[in-house]
Amino acid sequence: MTKDLSTWLDTLLDELQGIEVRRKSSRRIRVDVQPDALPALLELLRGRASYVHLSAISCVDWIEENEFELVYHVWSYEIGSLVSAHTRIARDPGVYISVYDIYTPAAFFERDIHEMFGVFFEGSPDMSKFILTEWDGPPPMRKDFDSEAWVNAHFDFQDYQPDWLKEIEAKGGGVAVRPDEQRFSRRDVDAS
Amino acid sequence: MTELIKTPRTGETLPVKAGKRTNPLANVFDELVRFAQSRSLFMLHYCTGCGAIELPPSMTSRFDMERLGIQPMVSPRQADILLVTGYVSVKTLKRIILTYEQMGSPKYVIGICSCTVNGGMYWQSYATAKKLNDYMPVDIYIAGCMPRPEAVIAGLRELMENIRQGKADSWKDYYRHYDHYLGHQQRLFGETWQTPTDVIAEARHYGLFGPDTLGTHTALLEQHQRPLEALEMKVDIPELMARR
Repeated sequence: MTKDLSTWLDTLLDELQGIEVRRKSSRRIRVDVQPDALPALLELLRGRASYVHLSAISCVDWIEENEFELVYHVWSYEIGSLVSAHTRIARDPGVYISVYDIYTPAAFFERDIHEMFGVFFEGSPDMSKFILTEWDGPPPMRKDFDSEAWVNAHFDFQDYQPDWLKEIEAKGGGVAVRPDEQRFSRRDVDAS
Repeated sequence: MTELIKTPRTGETLPVKAGKRTNPLANVFDELVRFAQSRSLFMLHYCTGCGAIELPPSMTSRFDMERLGIQPMVSPRQADILLVTGYVSVKTLKRIILTYEQMGSPKYVIGICSCTVNGGMYWQSYATAKKLNDYMPVDIYIAGCMPRPEAVIAGLRELMENIRQGKADSWKDYYRHYDHYLGHQQRLFGETWQTPTDVIAEARHYGLFGPDTLGTHTALLEQHQRPLEALEMKVDIPELMARR
């Protein structure tokens, strides 16, 4: 039965127009699909072809092409293979449709992607903050977010202390820090 | 990385020397107290990152911290040492500061792993704080990624020795220069940052109120500070309410 399903799926995917199917290995299929056809494909995979497990939704920021790539990884326990459905959406409004009605766990992945990349999923039950509850900057996983610049603007770094290394080598353990020697700021805190 | 510039703050007080009292008997007593303190330390290990892995072997029979009189403690109110093991994310840092302020004096902070010293391998991460001693005074840093239990024990022994000699008084710095630490905290958490602990009143209580305790940042705190209110006790279980 399992083999039937697998062959049946292969035939069907080959018949469909507008999607590109690449078999990476016997247990991995990559499908490239247009954004408006992706929910239908997932519906088909889940409803008819036993791909009941949504492992993850990942997002890639292709800043030069001005696009976000969303990858839906679905797994079938019966066939034992993973289908990765790739789709690309425009980066600018960054709005896509939720697949919460097909896969319930999608709510968490979509919430996470919304937080990290700023992609809004229409129809997702909750788009509020997830992990970065105390973050009010831009979505940090976008390619145009300069993490290093943000770090330099918000944190000070420790000076290079060659004596500390000698101290560690001599004692094999800790370095005692005097607060008076450490009270400096690269940026003047009061000026900010 | 841009160059670091040291800017000494104005109105800096001199480092306080371990004061010896004139009465020789009081001196002996002080030394005894310090010796006893150094031999009985309760440690609150705030295991933020991977460094926590090195603590079970340090505490248990292989390296046995308890032979030095160091024991784990479950609550900050009864702990002497705050052990911060590993990277400190901005969210965690808030909790660490709350924990630190709840501890009774004298209290000592140990930063374990490279991440507490300088961000470690997370140096360019937006989510992790870099220098722990910007936000609270740190007594000992144990560098390494991660330090072996031997290094942890050596660092703790150094802290014990410092306590015995009366040199480990970094906790006083939090009260003397509260404005400095609060400034760093506000820079990260925003102007409305406040903790339930009234640090300024505590500074007065300990007699550590100095010219640098108050400043522009504490003025900002006073503007935004909401008075603490007791939480309302609520029972939201309908069956219980019906029984009443």
